[in-house]
Amino acid sequence: MLKIDNLHVRVAGKEILKGLSLSVNAGEMHAIMGPNGAGKSTLGNVLAGREGYEITQGSVEYNGSNLLALEPEQRAAAGVFLAFQYPVEIPGVNNTYFLKAALNAQRKQRGEGELDSMQFLKSVREKLRVLHISDELLHRAVNAGFSGGEKKRNEIFQMALLEPKLAILDETDSGLDIDAMKLVADGVNAMRDPQRAFVVITHYQRLLDYIVPDFVHVMVDGRIVESGDKSLALKLEEHGYAWIAERKLAGAA
Amino acid sequence: MDAVLLESLLGDDARTREESWRYSKIALRALTQQMFVAATAGATLSPQMLERIDLAFTRGRRIVFVNGRYSERHSDLGKAGSDIVIRRQSEQRVTITIAAGSGEPLHLAYVSVAGDSPSLWQASIGIEVQGGHAELIEQHIGENGAEVFGALNSQITLAPQSELHATCWSELADSVSLLLKTNCSVGRAAMYAVTHAHCGGRLQRIESRIDLAGAHAGCRSRGVFALRGRQHTDIHLDVRHKARDTQSNVFWRGVADQRARGVFHGAITVAAGADGADAQLSNKNLLLSPQAEIDTRPVLEIYADEVKASHGATVGQLDETALFYLRSRGVPAAVARALLISGFCREALESIPSAALREYLDAMLQARLPQHGGEA
Repeated sequence: MLKIDNLHVRVAGKEILKGLSLSVNAGEMHAIMGPNGAGKSTLGNVLAGREGYEITQGSVEYNGSNLLALEPEQRAAAGVFLAFQYPVEIPGVNNTYFLKAALNAQRKQRGEGELDSMQFLKSVREKLRVLHISDELLHRAVNAGFSGGEKKRNEIFQMALLEPKLAILDETDSGLDIDAMKLVADGVNAMRDPQRAFVVITHYQRLLDYIVPDFVHVMVDGRIVESGDKSLALKLEEHGYAWIAERKLAGAA
Repeated sequence: MDAVLLESLLGDDARTREESWRYSKIALRALTQQMFVAATAGATLSPQMLERIDLAFTRGRRIVFVNGRYSERHSDLGKAGSDIVIRRQSEQRVTITIAAGSGEPLHLAYVSVAGDSPSLWQASIGIEVQGGHAELIEQHIGENGAEVFGALNSQITLAPQSELHATCWSELADSVSLLLKTNCSVGRAAMYAVTHAHCGGRLQRIESRIDLAGAHAGCRSRGVFALRGRQHTDIHLDVRHKARDTQSNVFWRGVADQRARGVFHGAITVAAGADGADAQLSNKNLLLSPQAEIDTRPVLEIYADEVKASHGATVGQLDETALFYLRSRGVPAAVARALLISGFCREALESIPSAALREYLDAMLQARLPQHGGEA
């Protein structure tokens, strides 16, 4: 589904990703872990199409075509979803209006018919119930005045509604208490599907107790330096990132 | 234009005028260099104009002025209660007394109709709210044609403990200019809440002086202007806290596209002895093109001791992060821009009590804002 090959990315003249390669197949759950500044969020932003990232080398293939050539909205319509580390507050823009505009724009780009209001609201209410979010959310402005936990839950709710093929979760667990994290994990697990892939970016192993990954990758200094199964996350938890850095140095020597 | 006439329209002494017209001098001069004649009395309203003043939620409570003159023919006071008394000193000088406001809206529609050559009108309105809760809807419209310059002076008085919710908007063709001067005196424990929405026009100057004259008097001034082309709008607020424990809350938004020019001057003065005053001012502006310009100037002058005051003013561009957020959910760039701009404006309209009126003005702004990446 996703094939990243030797990706080099510069931000404001500074190289952040330094030859990152990663393959993700449909149905898989990948976790990317790493210390601050490793480039984890840059990866998420580059995949979603944010401006200000200069790709100097490498390629990203998504379902056989060049993902990097698409505008952010085209990527969304093609099934790419990024749950933001810091969801944006948009005062004055009503949530229901925004979600309907987003969903129908995606459907239109895919050549599908627009949902009418009844169908749309039915779908929205179902997803809200799963995530234990009050209907009140629909009358509020997008993320405006939301607590940190509410914002993160809203990201997962949007994901549930938009039903992407490739979901990238950028530190969705940070700032959440254990109950909120369980709700987020339930929301993600409910969406696991043989047709859908996840890339979960996280700083801590804790989330992976609830969302069990098929693969764990450790990212240090703009590259994936180690990949393994879920036991790698536990080793990291035990030894810290310094352990990986040392191993990397030993390997290089 | 005749210098004496211009002086009488502008009012203030020359020196104050020079400073307060700082950003709008050139626009004013260009306008007043034309020869204006008095606007035609009894001008006919086009079907489009008639439709625009016919708001479902104000039927039977509507007063219409055509080129500043009271129009018997178009006014409709079929449902106005006995609490409203209208006196006409002349066609251009009207006073309205609201004895006990019932919360039913009173609609004042000011229509500018072009003549064969540039024309000018002037009118004076007095509004006195003696008690209760009054609601006022002030609409300014004007169609394309020869230049029209309208000048309206409104004098509002709120008796102790009365309340007035006013909504004032303009939707003008580019050949119409307006000078609106409103003086409002707010009595003890009375409340003046006004929401503005202004778009179109060649030059619009909105002056609002609010005197919080009695203890515990309060005012809330919210508003938005949305400009494009070469439109020029200048907002001048002058809020004066003159008594103890008075409150003011100013919240304005401005959007300018293409080569439009906006000015926001928000002055709040807390007089000596007006202790316990609470003054909040927020002004945010959005520039949508490199040629557009908005100048904002909040001025706080405090002569009392115990005062709570805050002010903030910004001029910026659309938030790229918010734009990316919307696009990453599938919303096309042009739609995302339009959503952000209308959301920015909508915040200023939130205080309008009537949902129907709020939606009406929201739709008006939507139609006036750039919809697809900046084209008009």
